[in-house]
Amino acid sequence: MTKLIWIGAAALALAVPGTAQQTTGQKAGNFKLTDVDGRTVALSDFAGKTVVLEWHNPGCPFVQKHYGGGNMQKTQAAARAQGAVWLTINSGAPGKQGHMSGAEAKALMAEQKAEPTRYLLDPRGVVGKGYAAKTTPHLYVIDGRGTLVYQGGIDDKPTADQADIAGARNHVLAALGEMRAGKPISVAETRPYGCSVKYAG
Amino acid sequence: MGGMRFSFVTFLCAFVTLVLASPAAAQVPGNTRHIAIELIAETDTPAAGSEVALAFASVPEPGWHGYWKNPGDAGIETTLDWTLPQGVTAGPLDYPVPQRLLIAGLMNYVYEGPFAQFATLKIPAGLAPGTRLPVRVKSDYLVCTDEICVPESAQLETVLTIGDGAIAPARRARFDRWRAALPKPLGSEATYQVAEGGFRLAVPFPAEAAAIDAYFFPASAGTVNFAAPQAVTRSGDLLLIETAASGAGGPPIDGVLSVGGGRGLSLRAVPGIVAAGPEHAAEIDWASALLALGGALLGGLILNIMPCVFPILSLKALSLARGGIDEDTARGEARAYTAGVILTCVALGAVLLALRAAGASAGWAFQLQDPRAILILLLLTTAIAFNLAGLFELSAPGAINRAAASGSRGGTGGAFATGALAAFIATPCTGPFMGVALGAALVLPWPLALGIFAGLGLGLALPFLLLGYVPALRRRLPRPGAWMDRFRKALSVPMFLTALALAWVLGRQAGVDGMTLGLGAALIVAVGLWWMGRRQARGAQRAWVPSAAAALLALGAVMLVEREPAAAAPMLAANAQPFTQAKLDQLRGEGRPIFAYFTADWCITCKVNEKSAIETADVAKAFADGEVQVLVGDWTDGDPALGRFIEQHNRAGVPLYLWYEPGEPGPRILPQLLTKAMLTDLPGR
Repeated sequence: MTKLIWIGAAALALAVPGTAQQTTGQKAGNFKLTDVDGRTVALSDFAGKTVVLEWHNPGCPFVQKHYGGGNMQKTQAAARAQGAVWLTINSGAPGKQGHMSGAEAKALMAEQKAEPTRYLLDPRGVVGKGYAAKTTPHLYVIDGRGTLVYQGGIDDKPTADQADIAGARNHVLAALGEMRAGKPISVAETRPYGCSVKYAG
Repeated sequence: MGGMRFSFVTFLCAFVTLVLASPAAAQVPGNTRHIAIELIAETDTPAAGSEVALAFASVPEPGWHGYWKNPGDAGIETTLDWTLPQGVTAGPLDYPVPQRLLIAGLMNYVYEGPFAQFATLKIPAGLAPGTRLPVRVKSDYLVCTDEICVPESAQLETVLTIGDGAIAPARRARFDRWRAALPKPLGSEATYQVAEGGFRLAVPFPAEAAAIDAYFFPASAGTVNFAAPQAVTRSGDLLLIETAASGAGGPPIDGVLSVGGGRGLSLRAVPGIVAAGPEHAAEIDWASALLALGGALLGGLILNIMPCVFPILSLKALSLARGGIDEDTARGEARAYTAGVILTCVALGAVLLALRAAGASAGWAFQLQDPRAILILLLLTTAIAFNLAGLFELSAPGAINRAAASGSRGGTGGAFATGALAAFIATPCTGPFMGVALGAALVLPWPLALGIFAGLGLGLALPFLLLGYVPALRRRLPRPGAWMDRFRKALSVPMFLTALALAWVLGRQAGVDGMTLGLGAALIVAVGLWWMGRRQARGAQRAWVPSAAAALLALGAVMLVEREPAAAAPMLAANAQPFTQAKLDQLRGEGRPIFAYFTADWCITCKVNEKSAIETADVAKAFADGEVQVLVGDWTDGDPALGRFIEQHNRAGVPLYLWYEPGEPGPRILPQLLTKAMLTDLPGR
């Protein structure tokens, strides 16, 4: 009987997406996606470098808060200035809010003066679910050895109000700073906030 | 003259208020909010030094939802920014029991219909009556559909005036309704354990208390994987929830255990040892699964003689019996028919399970608790019974006849279609026979549940399968003849009995009035069908018209029938009476000693006290000798009047034990754990 329950549980685990999850302090799962120019990009391409993953949906008011106020662009620029790679990932399914074609995403990034290293398209949500990305924005920091060192929200003010950016602690910049100083990450996991990722199904 | 001046002043005040209020209304940003929120105080005239409850009465637009304190995988908790007069303080926001909403693998804890959050204001003492206390609050919250999310902000205000604290009856009723949706404190502590990625929670919960579709809503992240299914087992006085963990655990966790019907219990769980699902519980599951499977098989078998399936089946069966069909064809057709039936049943079952998984919390048994569902079943079974008795004929629509006929010409495709059709048509008839088995299917893990639906299909297909594989049976098949008519009429008797049983259930649920209404509706349907039968006998065109009209009329009755308020008939200790404030006052006036206790079905401490102390012979004798009157307050449904009484004694919930000694001004509050000696010592001191 117990065996049967486990078989059932295993079947359920397969059927319910979003159960896969990356553990902080362990090796981050590798993935391959297509960027806005049709090039294939793998996480393993950036071995030895710090990588930031950002989940994106242009229609989400919480994403708009950080792009509208220039906060996300500033964070991207600061990260890249420190030698980090910034991958923005869109897991919005076709027909859902925030889904974009490569050309649309390229145009939007130019218009908003966003500077990710690459903008990646994940319309089937495979990588999003593999990382258990739940909200937009949802951020992950991976160090040069491929270890996941931070996952969660961009900062500690879970609102959609631009005025709240000024007084907030930017968890990503804080983690990058601590890594550069050779210190352990003081806040390694937070609860992400924003709109739910618009997965297919 | 004085009266006139008064009304003039009133008019002036109203006018000024209107003028002052309109610009404020115009300032509402956007005016297109997706949740309409009204800030309402339980009393507009609270007394100085008291507390007053404020409700945020919220109505989301259709298709939109607001969020619980812990919004789940995504979403935001409501934040409040108060602007309060000097000395007034506001407590935290209390949320009603939430609902689950699973969207694309992400779990949301939400409100999809109207809901009310509460906050309590403390009014400082020493304020003069008539003092105006303007209360302003900015509420920031998130509102979403399945597709999009909008953060909204509402500026709400109300003005309180220091007065006598009187509460208008209409407003009290509204607040009582909202309060009923708040989780009640469980009282006893739960235990949880995180092991090998699994989260196990053991909640003390009396074995006899009902828990429909139990679910644990954790109050914060980092405890359980919100989207993972929760397996619920009950073993004696423990309710065990097993799901996937997220995080390592450690500190105590808070949450709400929902127990069905919008009711919930707030609880705190401390880390400890929680045994995995007990083996004997698993065996009980297994046994009930087997029982349900047997029930499903039998139910499917019975469906074969249902008037909606019988005509199709007899056509098929007789086509086989006529002979001239070789062994292989007969077997092939039997297999195809069986596959059609089983696949359709499993598909229908999967749809039902998917609906439930998507958050629709109503199960099969739950529907049968609705008197309207019972009445519809009553009308259906009455019509079926009269059909069997020969009052009228059921002429199947053309499409069905054609499909069945193509099947009778042979070919496995046709047989498969006939099977699917038979299963599809049979499902509305499953109600009275399949209730138990389907109910079991809904609480089992889904692979087993689908097995039960497959069992239903197999049962339905069984006679035809046997006919296909056993040539002797085909040869024994009786020729169609007058016997079939007699057989059918005999079958009407059990059908009428089913209708009778349903009428009884209806009477239990909706009272004598509801049952009379139901029987009246059945009479209307019967007359309509009789008329239809007469027209059929004459060969009239559109013979069904009178019966359709009658059915419409009868369905009108369905709209009228209402559930009777549940009679308060809990199990009471000897000579105990239900608690009411009036009864208490009356008995105290008579100068009798009174033992008043407050209990709920879900309160394990209450049940232990009742079994080990209150309901024992010793205590009954001591109370009888001392002429003690026992009053019992049952708080299972969260009766607001009782809730207020309990609150007055500085308790958030049950158990509460009070002893009123004649001559003393107030009651003595007894400890939450009672002993026999403690109670027998009370009278005569």
